[in-house]
Amino acid sequence: MAEKLQPLKVLYCSVCSLPAEYCEFGPDFEKCKPWLLKNAPGLYPDLVSEAEKAAEQLQGVNISGEKGDTSKRQGSAANFQPDEEVKKLPGGKVKKKEKPEIIIEKVIRNKRKCVTMIKGLDLFGIKLSEASKKFGKKFASGASVVKGPTEKEQIDVQGDLMLDIVDFITETWENVPESAIFFIEDGRKVPAVG
Amino acid sequence: MFRKFTQEEISSQNQVKASVQRKIRQSIAEEYPDLEANLEDLIPKKVPLIVAKCQNHINLVVVNNVPLFFNIRDGPYMPTLRLLHQYPSIMKKFQVDRGAIKFVLAGANIMCPGLTSPGGSLDDEVLAEAPVAIMAEGKEHALAIGFTKMPAKDIRSINKGIGVDNMHYLNDGLWKTVHLD
Repeated sequence: MAEKLQPLKVLYCSVCSLPAEYCEFGPDFEKCKPWLLKNAPGLYPDLVSEAEKAAEQLQGVNISGEKGDTSKRQGSAANFQPDEEVKKLPGGKVKKKEKPEIIIEKVIRNKRKCVTMIKGLDLFGIKLSEASKKFGKKFASGASVVKGPTEKEQIDVQGDLMLDIVDFITETWENVPESAIFFIEDGRKVPAVG
Repeated sequence: MFRKFTQEEISSQNQVKASVQRKIRQSIAEEYPDLEANLEDLIPKKVPLIVAKCQNHINLVVVNNVPLFFNIRDGPYMPTLRLLHQYPSIMKKFQVDRGAIKFVLAGANIMCPGLTSPGGSLDDEVLAEAPVAIMAEGKEHALAIGFTKMPAKDIRSINKGIGVDNMHYLNDGLWKTVHLD
């Protein structure tokens, strides 16, 4: 048996997700620059000197306009703030909170029969077992709570009910806005309204 | 291959039975002997092993919703790049020169001249149809995983055309799929 290998830690850029050294080939090097400056200054020596130059220029302007040390510090502070703001945006994007939404999908089986799958009802605090009973009663068809591929529960209703089911959901549960309901058509997510 | 891969391409995800699981572990251990000791950490026996079938006969080995390995049809299992970055020594390495990086990262297959030029390097033991890690000149980490089309010796002597098929590269669809759900 071979010796146990220790997993290596790789620095990934939080902006473009590539390992930091590949940022320069990434989709948007410019956006990565502030992050790189802060987290991996050693990788791109050019970048650091570039940034220093920019800072110097800013400082130069300030010095000529006003007096010495204090303005210098302000200059550098002003220089760093925008960097941080840029950083926050992409980070926030990645972590973006999942809005509760209902996804309705039609799956065709046996060529001419279909099943309508409804995902995400539980996110609105709806009990799935009760909901499936209501679906069954309303549409006079089989409706069951099914465990999705990875522990997510969904309701399967027999028949093609994509359009009818939207009205039924908004009528039955008033806390569900119509704008939170989506269809999946040809593998794409389409809002149910409009 | 994974250029436009999304979760929607996964047609089914199944928890596989123990015998299949054993087979997968075995073939991974055979392919990457250095990884054998770590297999228990990567694929714990207690955690269900999920195999996700995707289009084009691609299978993904998924543990705890994280894709770890993939293969095509019954081909050899290949680690995802995130895994390879953690254990860089498990695969044979090819290196491409700097000029080739941007093409490889756009999904291009690896041409022989990029491997034989001064910036590139080859592992002469590699035979045809073997998975290899593609490194890059001046970089520490792998940027792609390839599948050789001809033995390393031929790559050196013929020095023309496609030497390695690009299977999986940085920032492709599989790279972006960190978690499956």
